[in-house]
Amino acid sequence: MAAAEAGDTQQMLGVGLIEKDTNGEVLWVWCYPSTTAALRTLLLRKCCLTASNKLSQPFVFGQYRRTWFYITTVEVPDSSVLKKVTHFSIVVTAKDFNPEKYAAFSRMLCRVYLKHGSPVKMMESYIAVLTKGICQSEENGSFLNKDFDAQKAYLAGSIKDIVAQFGMETVILHMALMLKKRVVVYHPKIEAVQEFTRTLPALVWHRQDWTVLHSYVHLDTDELDALQKCPGYVAGFVDPEVSDRSDLYDVFVNLAESEITITPLAKEAMTMGKLHREIGQLIVQSAEDPEKSDSQVIQDISLKTREIFTNLAPFSEASGDGEKRVLNFAALKQRRFPPATENFLCQLAVAEQMLKI
Amino acid sequence: MEEADRILIHSLRQAGTAVPPDVQSLRAFTTELVVEAVVCCLRVINPDVGSGLSPLLPLAMSARFRLAMSLAQACMDLGYPLELGYQNFLYPSEPDLRDLLLFLAERLPTDSSEDADQPAGDSAILLRAIGNQVREQLAVPWVPPLLRTPKLQQLQGSAPQKPLQTSRLVLPELSSRGESREFQGSPLLLPPPAQVPQLAERAASLLECHTVQLCQHAHHDCPGDEDWVHRAARLPGQEDARAQRQRLHKHLAEQLHQTWAHLGPPAPACDLGEQLQAWGAGTRTGARATKGSRFTHSEKFTFQPEPKAQTAQASDVPASQRPQQDMLAAQEQELESLREQLEGVNHNIEEVEADMKTLGLSLVQVETECQQSELSTAEREQTLRLKSRAVELLPDGLANLTKLQVVVESSAQRIIHLAGQWEKHRVPLLAEYRHLRRLQDCRELESSRRLAEIQELHQSVRLAAEEARRKEEVYKQLVSELETLPKDVSRLAYTQRILEIVGNIRKQKEEITKILSDTKDLQKEINSLSGKLDRTFAVTDELVFKDAKKDDAVRKAYKYLAALHENCSQLIQTIEDTGTIMREVRDLEEQIETEMGKKTLSNLEKIQEDYRALRQENAGLLGRVREA
Repeated sequence: MAAAEAGDTQQMLGVGLIEKDTNGEVLWVWCYPSTTAALRTLLLRKCCLTASNKLSQPFVFGQYRRTWFYITTVEVPDSSVLKKVTHFSIVVTAKDFNPEKYAAFSRMLCRVYLKHGSPVKMMESYIAVLTKGICQSEENGSFLNKDFDAQKAYLAGSIKDIVAQFGMETVILHMALMLKKRVVVYHPKIEAVQEFTRTLPALVWHRQDWTVLHSYVHLDTDELDALQKCPGYVAGFVDPEVSDRSDLYDVFVNLAESEITITPLAKEAMTMGKLHREIGQLIVQSAEDPEKSDSQVIQDISLKTREIFTNLAPFSEASGDGEKRVLNFAALKQRRFPPATENFLCQLAVAEQMLKI
Repeated sequence: MEEADRILIHSLRQAGTAVPPDVQSLRAFTTELVVEAVVCCLRVINPDVGSGLSPLLPLAMSARFRLAMSLAQACMDLGYPLELGYQNFLYPSEPDLRDLLLFLAERLPTDSSEDADQPAGDSAILLRAIGNQVREQLAVPWVPPLLRTPKLQQLQGSAPQKPLQTSRLVLPELSSRGESREFQGSPLLLPPPAQVPQLAERAASLLECHTVQLCQHAHHDCPGDEDWVHRAARLPGQEDARAQRQRLHKHLAEQLHQTWAHLGPPAPACDLGEQLQAWGAGTRTGARATKGSRFTHSEKFTFQPEPKAQTAQASDVPASQRPQQDMLAAQEQELESLREQLEGVNHNIEEVEADMKTLGLSLVQVETECQQSELSTAEREQTLRLKSRAVELLPDGLANLTKLQVVVESSAQRIIHLAGQWEKHRVPLLAEYRHLRRLQDCRELESSRRLAEIQELHQSVRLAAEEARRKEEVYKQLVSELETLPKDVSRLAYTQRILEIVGNIRKQKEEITKILSDTKDLQKEINSLSGKLDRTFAVTDELVFKDAKKDDAVRKAYKYLAALHENCSQLIQTIEDTGTIMREVRDLEEQIETEMGKKTLSNLEKIQEDYRALRQENAGLLGRVREA
């Protein structure tokens, strides 16, 4: 058990503390074990203390070069021991995607810091969780690592809300994710962006890959470079100018106005046919059913996806080492699917790495 | 009074009255002079009224009477407050005359309003000086050559006084292009006045340049003479010089005739600009060489490229016809082969495109595979390390496990201890940093405030300097104007005298107020004393009267008291009467003086004479009427 837990807890990479003082200056004051300067600048940008608007977003998370960061911001009440500090943020960096776990954890750390005013106490809790996977909080209850399962995190988003907002157009999102295209989501509020983007990878449940999710990105050169290294991604922005950067996306989702735009370059690759209409209808039907829960809807979608793969099966043959199936192009062409479907299947094969090289 | 009269006479002279120089005061004004002065003033004040009145006093009495009445009417129309009649003009009295002439002199328009409108500045002064000079020279009448003085000969003679030496000026042109345009825009090309080093040549060169321009522009408008323009523009030196000169002569003569016809006598008050405009008004529209508006220039230049574009289109080479039939066939064959080639190439392109697509897809796939394999390699290395360590520790499993746990505990404790130590260093440094930042912010606020103050001060200094400069200029201009003013009237003496008089009047007023207050006090005292007297007398009277009934001596005393009171009151009465009478005497004396000044007696004699003359005239006219 300890080993399993150790495997889990090695997901956490570090913890940092950012303070905003009475001079109005935002400083990175403490961290453990260490951070690079690039990561520090990034996190200073992400934590909403630097922004001049007073809307404090208590919890944001995002990904940068395969490192997940979770930031909790707290306003310091006047009665606290921290005299010169007006707000502070606690940053937890980790290798896994689990917003609920780290939100709970950093909330606890915030409480400790507020109470004692010294990061040492915070560090004790952190080390406890790191080594033992459990941390006793001063109030009742404790934080247990194993309460927070990765699968639960994956399923925490609401797919029904997405279908309710976009209807049949959800199939565009589904297709984009299947083909590993670049999707950019914009909304002025980060909470909306986060909620929406974290649910999108559930549409391709058979992969269970949340590394394509970059839920909070700024239009900064460094971040965009890192983003563009990934072949396909789902990126969330709060900056309205991102709609002008058509080099960053194949599909643009304006969440505020419920609009999905496909760039002209990508339109060719994403032409839709009968197959997609079927998928779209299934998604809508499934989501409208009030009896079904979110996870059931996701199950339905993944079933349909698997159907597509079984359709591909006749045209694929076993590759050399027997593990992967490789697509036989010629056979596919002989079947003479309608061009949209053929195109889609080819691209899908590429995305699933089934192409014969 | 003398001084005032002299000022009045001076202003009357300025209005146009010919006052003889020995007349120094109003007392010496005769009837004729009075009438002349009034009429001249009226003419200046109100020309239409004044022109109907003659300054000379007619001989006939009735005409004189009529003239005097009309003068009186005119003066009253102007707004004279007192009553005027013919007697004020025919039989003038000094004080009335003074009032009337002062009233008229006030109404005379002043010259100073003109100067206030003129612009300030050195250049304005210069232009005004030039304008004055030109005006003066124009006003000099033409004198035949043999009668001219050397100075007039300079002004009006036609022989050139200095040899005409000119040098060619290079002026920037709007139509220049390329290298010449660059040169014209560069500092190498000096402004025209600086291009000629000698002063004498400068004016001559500018005149020459201007004349050349005039000729070019004049002949631009005459389409028949285009050759001349081209020739003149290209090679001015190689022309038939005489023919050119004749044409130029003719053109200049035309211009002068036209402009001079419009020119009248220059008004005395117009400045240089207006004069130049008056001359320029008569020129032909074609000779607008100097200052066309920018609009007309741009018009000219937009129309120029159009004809050029039209000429360019005409240069199509006409296609040549080849009516041979075998050439057609050969062409068709060529066409076929080319079409086949095209198809083949298209086919190739499609194939290559398809290949590219597949290759692109496989490239994408390979890249992702590569990335993934890298990541998985890294992960596997980690797990390998972990597992190898675990395998090493495996033989003595449980003990190692507990040892590991102890190690973990102790390192955790150590880390926490280190963190505590680090805190000891970190916290004071952070606090100091924050403190210093706050100090810096305060100081920045302070310094920005001071900077703002300094800038304000600078601004006010600059404004004050400008103000001072402006006032200096105005002062300079006013000083120069003061020098040019005529010096016959010394204002300084008058202003000083006026100020003296004002001071005296003020002193007198003070004295008068003092005397008045003294008088009032005295009167109050008198009143109070008389009141006291009455009361005392009343009391005494009663007292004594009471006892008088009984005692004889008291009765006598009472009688004496009454008599005393009576006599004293009479005395006081007499004194008062004396005072009143003396005042009356003074008033009457003043009145006598004024009446004496009015020369009433002499006027009365004159009136009687005139009356007799009038009656004679009437009788004569009656007789003539009866005869006719």
